[in-house]
Amino acid sequence: MPVKWLMHFQPNQGTTLTSQVMAEACAVAESFPGVSRDGRWRSSMTFYRAVPRDQSLPAPSDLPRDLIGISLHDLPNEYLFVMRSQRLILRAHSSVQTVMDKLQSYKGRFFINFEGLQYKWGDFKLRIGKCLYNPNEALRGIVMEVEYLPLSSIDKSQRVMEEFYEIWREAVASKLLAGQFINTEVNFVEYGLGDSYTPQHTAVLYGMCVVQVIASSNKNQ
Amino acid sequence: MECVVQGIIETLHVEALEILLVGLCGAPKQRVRVHELCLKSGPNLVSSEVRLLCDLAKTTPSWTIRHVGGAMRGAGADQLSVLVRPIAESKASSTALRFFYGIGYKLDHEVLKTGFAFQFQNRGANLTVSVTSTNRMPRLHATDDAVPITPGIHLVEITAPAAPENYTEVASAIASFCEYLSPLLHLSKPGISTGIVPTAAEAAASLMSSGGGIKIL
Repeated sequence: MPVKWLMHFQPNQGTTLTSQVMAEACAVAESFPGVSRDGRWRSSMTFYRAVPRDQSLPAPSDLPRDLIGISLHDLPNEYLFVMRSQRLILRAHSSVQTVMDKLQSYKGRFFINFEGLQYKWGDFKLRIGKCLYNPNEALRGIVMEVEYLPLSSIDKSQRVMEEFYEIWREAVASKLLAGQFINTEVNFVEYGLGDSYTPQHTAVLYGMCVVQVIASSNKNQ
Repeated sequence: MECVVQGIIETLHVEALEILLVGLCGAPKQRVRVHELCLKSGPNLVSSEVRLLCDLAKTTPSWTIRHVGGAMRGAGADQLSVLVRPIAESKASSTALRFFYGIGYKLDHEVLKTGFAFQFQNRGANLTVSVTSTNRMPRLHATDDAVPITPGIHLVEITAPAAPENYTEVASAIASFCEYLSPLLHLSKPGISTGIVPTAAEAAASLMSSGGGIKIL
């Protein structure tokens, strides 16, 4: 599976994120020579909370508070769970959501959608999207997923991805946006993941990225 | 949703049953070696139960998460000779057990089921007939050291996936197939035991001597 990086837009302190950033980021992508628009993309995330046996009490502290489920745009028949505190990922068929519904021990408490435009640029696929709180569609962030098609080794692709990142940062800086794109750094080894890229790597990236997006959004509100 | 019936057969007649099934099913025999772990939610969580099935028959073990719902009730269900129940299943990665431990589930018990199965179609329904010995493990997850819980007895189970709009037809397909097996064993709803069939020894002897002909019917 091709390697991906995931970045989010970090607004400058004191500024508010608006949809204009999304439009400007897309304009940057569309200015790259030879780029072509390649449709739309959408991934979604569910934040789960434990349902205590005695619902008059708060959820016990020994149960995880960071269980998230992710449906990725390029794997519609699969569903992944991530628990950052335990460095644990579960990859399953999408029917696992039905199993969780039947168990009723965990329920989705709030939901975030990632959706936007996809571009093809040589060996890269770029996906720029809004991070929207569901259901009121409040804008919480802007993300960009960069996929390098020829390589599935994280180590081997490091240099070319860094080079792309520099090209992107300079192009965005020239637009004088009030902020910058920050790459999501993850120690995949802590999650038991190897050098060969998998959907589990993507799930961990989104799990880390969304924490930073929400923290950034809360700070600037 | 699935339809299911179960029965027991003495282990010494399993070979004869296999001969009969080979003749009836027209499908290849599949080896069964499934490590089944039953997990229950801890005391702090809403009460629930989930099963993890690790298929050890293949080179690379594969995991399935399975939730079994309560049996269908009512006059319609009572009239059926098979049990109908909701089922939710999902293939999962090998981190499934750690995942459920991580969200507060505990291991209630585990068994190893070994034997064989046939998958085939009967009257449009996809049937699976499995003949297995249920084994317990002397130490946690020690599948290599598993021993039969009831030596000398095998469990026979017929299951078929069903939907609300066709479960009566599926039930009928299972019931009709059970007739072919009646000289060797009786199958019924799980929990309703019919014991060992008196004609089993004679039927098994006939099958073993005929080498597969279904002359007993």
